[in-house]
Amino acid sequence: MTIEELILSGVVREFKGAVVDSSTDTSLPLVLLNPKSRTIEVAPSVSVRLIVACTQSSQGGVELFLAENSSVEMVNLYLADSYVNVTVHQSLGSQCKTMTALLSSTNVTYNYLLEGEYCSNAFDGLFMAMGSDHATLNLTTRHLKANCNSNSTVKGVSAGRATGEFHGLVYVAPDAQHTDAQQQNRNIEFDDSHIVALPQLEIYADDVRCSHGSTVGYSDEQAIFYMRQRGLTESYARRLQIEGFVGEVVNRCNMEEICCFVRDIVSQKMSEI
Amino acid sequence: MLKIENLHASVGDKEILRGINLEVKAGEVHAIMGPNGSGKSTLASVLAGNEKFTVTAGEVIFMGENLLDVPIEERALKGLFLGFQYPVEIPGVSMANFMKIALAEQRKYKGLEPLTASEFLKLMREKSAVVELDGKLTSRAVNEGFSGGEKKKNEIFQMAMLEPKLAILDETDSGLDIDALRVVATGVTRLKRPDNATVVITHYQRLLDYIVPDYVHVLYKGRIIYSGDKSLALKLEKEGYDWLINEYKE
Repeated sequence: MTIEELILSGVVREFKGAVVDSSTDTSLPLVLLNPKSRTIEVAPSVSVRLIVACTQSSQGGVELFLAENSSVEMVNLYLADSYVNVTVHQSLGSQCKTMTALLSSTNVTYNYLLEGEYCSNAFDGLFMAMGSDHATLNLTTRHLKANCNSNSTVKGVSAGRATGEFHGLVYVAPDAQHTDAQQQNRNIEFDDSHIVALPQLEIYADDVRCSHGSTVGYSDEQAIFYMRQRGLTESYARRLQIEGFVGEVVNRCNMEEICCFVRDIVSQKMSEI
Repeated sequence: MLKIENLHASVGDKEILRGINLEVKAGEVHAIMGPNGSGKSTLASVLAGNEKFTVTAGEVIFMGENLLDVPIEERALKGLFLGFQYPVEIPGVSMANFMKIALAEQRKYKGLEPLTASEFLKLMREKSAVVELDGKLTSRAVNEGFSGGEKKKNEIFQMAMLEPKLAILDETDSGLDIDALRVVATGVTRLKRPDNATVVITHYQRLLDYIVPDYVHVLYKGRIIYSGDKSLALKLEKEGYDWLINEYKE
């Protein structure tokens, strides 16, 4: 199955417009395929599921404007080497949920600007760098107004001679009191690959709750031994371990078909380890 | 079933097992006791094939075959089970899924088709009852967030699912309160059959109130220095190891 086939089979719908409002049919997830430079406005109180898919090597960008109390659930997939910028402006009371998977040599930058109060932002990201890939995930969450919350989890896997990078920044402006921001990053390295993790916090308000954490580790050999002792081959045990590791991100996606699709690609990727 | 002859094993250049001899026959329960650092857990790990240890001499015959050349998973598939002293957490892998895979691998090895979903669920319910394991735990990730007692029960649950020929239980009693101990030990006793055998590694005689051993061995500095019947465990509980160690020195 490819994204194009999902469109043809009517599971998702390609979207060419610039505004999502009450007149837009949002019963199916809307797909932005290989977006070059798209700007999309989501009207007040509208809920939409968006899929951004890069299936061809490309440079692109998406800028989303979320009006008051609107809600966007986004799945962003990078299947071909690409260089992409995603910027999301959130107004008062808007909600944005993102699940992203970088499954190629890709450099993606996410910029979330929480420009209104009472916004919520959830981000689950995965990057897998295999062979000679170089995958970079940049994530900036800017809390510009008070009473917003953000929660990000990013997981990285690298193997072969690949390089993975995570640059994370949580910025809290002086006005953004009562911010609740969490950012977690977990990585596993295999073979001669390596992962660079740079999590940062910049806080200029004094009544906030922020935490971040980042780890880079190796495969847990005790767990491999444990699984083999129960009769699993070494390669099966390793696959299961990574599946479990990335599953936490992939399973956050609420769109069933897309979730299956992502899991299949992840499994394929893992067979390269 | 299991025959260990003059087994020597080291980690790095430190020799831990220094000539173990032990024979376990079908239907028997053996207890291995001994002071800290005597090599009990190492023995269990070496039998299971943990690559941290190097076997430097000796032989282990399991079910008529040389065990030491066999990879870890094949030992398991041949019917050797290790109940871990510290069960490992596997984030993101549910207990039910893990057991489904393990059981399917075992059945494949025996040339059998995997169980159907309903057969599997039935088996899981049946076996989790043996150790009074909360059914909810099987949908959680393997050992993640399990309490100490739940982890140990979970080991016996897996043993019940996989029905090994030889189960080696490495300090299954450590960290258990008295109720959990009884549950775990009763589970082990209920799984006992004439065609399987159990080796229980323990510090305390307390466990042996529930799991009655046919033989009790004392391991000291990498050797079995004394073997006896279950009364030996009682004597050790009362008098400690010193008298044996002194006797061994003389």
